Amino acid sequence: MNNIVFENVCKSYGKNTIVKDLNMEIKEGERLILLGPSGCGKSTTLRMIAGLEKITSGSLHMGGRCVNEVECGDRGVSMVFQNYALFPHMTVRENIIYGLKANKVDKNEIETRLKDAIKMLELGGLEDRKPKELSGGQRQRVALARAVVKKSDYFLLDEPLSNLDAQLRLRARKNLVNIHEIYHQTLVYVTHDQIEAMTVGNRVAIMYQGNMEMVDTPSNVYNHPASVFCAKFIGSPSMNISEAAYDAGRLYFQGKEIALPDMWSRLIAECGTKELYMGLRPEHMILSAKKTEDSVEGVIKYVEDYGNSYGVYVEIGNEEFIAITSGNFPMQGEKVYVKIDFEKLHIFRRDTEKSIGYPQEIMNLRRTLPDAFAQ
Amino acid sequence: MLKTEKKQAVLGYIFLIPSLVMFTVFMFYPMFYTLYLSFFKWNMIKPVKEFVGLANYVSVLSDPNTWKIFGNTLLYIVILLVFNFIVPYVLSFILSNIVKKGHGFYKSAFFLPSVISLVVGSMLYVWILNPISGPVAIIAKHFGITMPFWSKTQGWVIAVLCIITTWKSFGYNFIIILAGVSGVSQEVIEAARLDNIPMWKIFKDIVLPMSSATGIYVFITTIVQGMQYVFTPIKVITQGGPNYASSNMIYMSYHEAFTLYSTGTSSAVSVMTMALFIILLILEFKFVEKGVYYEN
Amino acid sequence: MKIKQKSDRQIGWHIFLIIIVYLMLIPIVFALSNSFKTTQDAYNTVFEIIPRNPTLENYIHVFQKLPFAKITLNTFLIAATVTIFKTLTSIFAAYSLVYFDYKGKAFLYFMMLSTMFIPFTVTMIPNYLLISQIGLRDNIWGVALPQLADVLGIFLLRQSMRGIPKSLIEVAKLDKIGHMKIMRDIILPLVRPSVISTGIIFFINSWNEYVWPVLILKTKENYTLSLALQMYISSEGGTDFTIAMAVSVMTMIIPLTLYIIFQRYIINTFAMSGIKG
Repeated sequence: MNNIVFENVCKSYGKNTIVKDLNMEIKEGERLILLGPSGCGKSTTLRMIAGLEKITSGSLHMGGRCVNEVECGDRGVSMVFQNYALFPHMTVRENIIYGLKANKVDKNEIETRLKDAIKMLELGGLEDRKPKELSGGQRQRVALARAVVKKSDYFLLDEPLSNLDAQLRLRARKNLVNIHEIYHQTLVYVTHDQIEAMTVGNRVAIMYQGNMEMVDTPSNVYNHPASVFCAKFIGSPSMNISEAAYDAGRLYFQGKEIALPDMWSRLIAECGTKELYMGLRPEHMILSAKKTEDSVEGVIKYVEDYGNSYGVYVEIGNEEFIAITSGNFPMQGEKVYVKIDFEKLHIFRRDTEKSIGYPQEIMNLRRTLPDAFAQ
Repeated sequence: MLKTEKKQAVLGYIFLIPSLVMFTVFMFYPMFYTLYLSFFKWNMIKPVKEFVGLANYVSVLSDPNTWKIFGNTLLYIVILLVFNFIVPYVLSFILSNIVKKGHGFYKSAFFLPSVISLVVGSMLYVWILNPISGPVAIIAKHFGITMPFWSKTQGWVIAVLCIITTWKSFGYNFIIILAGVSGVSQEVIEAARLDNIPMWKIFKDIVLPMSSATGIYVFITTIVQGMQYVFTPIKVITQGGPNYASSNMIYMSYHEAFTLYSTGTSSAVSVMTMALFIILLILEFKFVEKGVYYEN
Repeated sequence: MKIKQKSDRQIGWHIFLIIIVYLMLIPIVFALSNSFKTTQDAYNTVFEIIPRNPTLENYIHVFQKLPFAKITLNTFLIAATVTIFKTLTSIFAAYSLVYFDYKGKAFLYFMMLSTMFIPFTVTMIPNYLLISQIGLRDNIWGVALPQLADVLGIFLLRQSMRGIPKSLIEVAKLDKIGHMKIMRDIILPLVRPSVISTGIIFFINSWNEYVWPVLILKTKENYTLSLALQMYISSEGGTDFTIAMAVSVMTMIIPLTLYIIFQRYIINTFAMSGIKG
């Protein structure tokens, strides 16, 4: 059982707490992504798994044993670093097999693994080059090859693609998933790029200021964000969030009011506060020139042309909302009516900024639909 | 502490121990022993050291020659700072911002004398600056100037000994300052040049403050190293003469200990020299290091 | 017009710099030239670089009058021992300071670094007494010993080790590779230029050392080159100065050769040393 379990794990440097009370299980063979803005503690979390950072308190279990006091070399992890950490004075071949040779792995075995890795990562013909004679993509693949030949139970990656250009990144991403499909190690991957997170991960763990905000599948992360932070961090442009208040079946925001369907009213009544945030994804805002039921009035301030769609900035009350639409909408400066799709609405508590959850009706409905937004 | 961490710490100490032992035996212990000796009257041979309290310090400070030597020390410092700090600073600026070619050549050529021993340097200059038969004297004669007998003339003797020392340490200082001055962002300088700011102002207002960390480091090493470097030409050429006119605090310590066999006064002078250097060291850490060493 | 003015000014600066280079190097050229001149020529043809009657007499004289081979060997033995010992201890110390964590590390480094500011006179008497006590006076090993405490190499190598990305070490650690192996396989190959120049600097400094030979050595058999040369210096110049020039040339030939071969390494290492860190 090569799982990783965090129990109340904290990490601090002096007074500076980097990771706060982390509880999480990473399952055997899954691809877990640690996602968050820089400084959120995701790299520190990864390095704690590797054993490169000591845990301040709590306990970390890997494969069922507590590894708090196990040295990094004894944890059976291989790691790919952001800067690849290739040895500049060694050739590609030497880089890949250095660790194996130092650990006295059988010579024939080394040769086989080397051959496999070179073939799989398309490094043929580059064996005798030094890292500085390689392109960025090739270096990245050498770093992967070096991690792969170890055949370790845990595969850790610290922003492995962030030094590549956009096109290469796409290929490298697929490559990485393919490799994992072959070896099925427990893979933990740190990134700040949400697309990377969504495409590579079986599950995504979102961290913010040392706290674990949510751990879930990409589609749940997108559809049911657990907090305002998750809601805004996933999706681009990010979710429109506005202060809102609830009273007697109606939602008041930005000087407007709309009647909520029963399913939402019930949920809000249960949560015990009327001070809320409402969230609407730009792609779920429905614009129309005509006033209808369930719609609120706004003014179009600015329009961006994305080619296949438009970004429309709509001022509602004092707040600017952005809507993504490929349909028709009025001219800049004119009035527009935004219809709210209650199945795509998000409601958060204002005090904790956590989601109040979603009505059962929506959950039932969504489960029957294919994961349209999982990309 | 974890077991593995303890193992690490032990290995860390083990790696450091050979150096630490050398430092303890040949640096730290002697430092305290010298401080101890400065309170005793002794001649390195007598079996008993006689405790005299601060008498050695008092006798050093009340000797008029000491004050002459302090004055000399100051004069050495000033001249060495001009030749080994200000001149290389200006030259670095010229090289990194005005003259764009030949950096490698100039660096190599300026640094070359730094690898030659000061005894050789002293030998060469004694001959080149020989007031009768040396090439400089012959050229000067052509212009109707008579070379002074510098090794026997107050003032001149210090100037010449400084020139010899400069010959050795100029290149070293130049290399370090040049690295600091070249580190100043070219964009900032180019922006200033587009605003038509004169070069000397760019030097004063931009380059000098932006390279000040290196600058202060060299300023202090010029004093600390220079004072010790100049010992060699003093010892081999003038032995501090004429009449203490070329002695400095370093030579005085040596002279008291190994010519006059008065370890007490020698140690007192050494301790005072060290006090002077420690003040410089504190300045260095205050202005330059600012905790950079602990960052790691 | 303006462009021309600018290049004129460039040439002006180059002339200025060349004059400084000339002043720096001419003493060495003169020494070389005079060491091959006869005494008479040296006085009569001061400004002629190429000797009129080139002679090896000065060099022969040195070897006849002094145990010169022995003196050179002494200098070499001291310098080589000091270099090997200090380079090794500096590598280990620098590695310890960069890659280990332990109590008092910053303080120990600070203490060692501050010895750069201790004038040699402060340690001179106790070290002299110590060397005498252990019976190494008038012995070349007595000259070598006090030179072994030197922070320069630790400083330079620490500087250059800190330039290596930490992730390289971490990769090795994840592979369960021990420190000796990390040092041998990863760190040393990467800091090789610094190790070489540190070694060369140690060698040159020890070769040129003057204070300790003066204090410790008494008999000509045990002299180093610095002391041999010193015998020919008097502030009046003396009559044997062509011989003195020959000794000078033989004293500086080794440091100069090393410098000419390794100048790029040496200059880069020193340039690095002034930048804080």
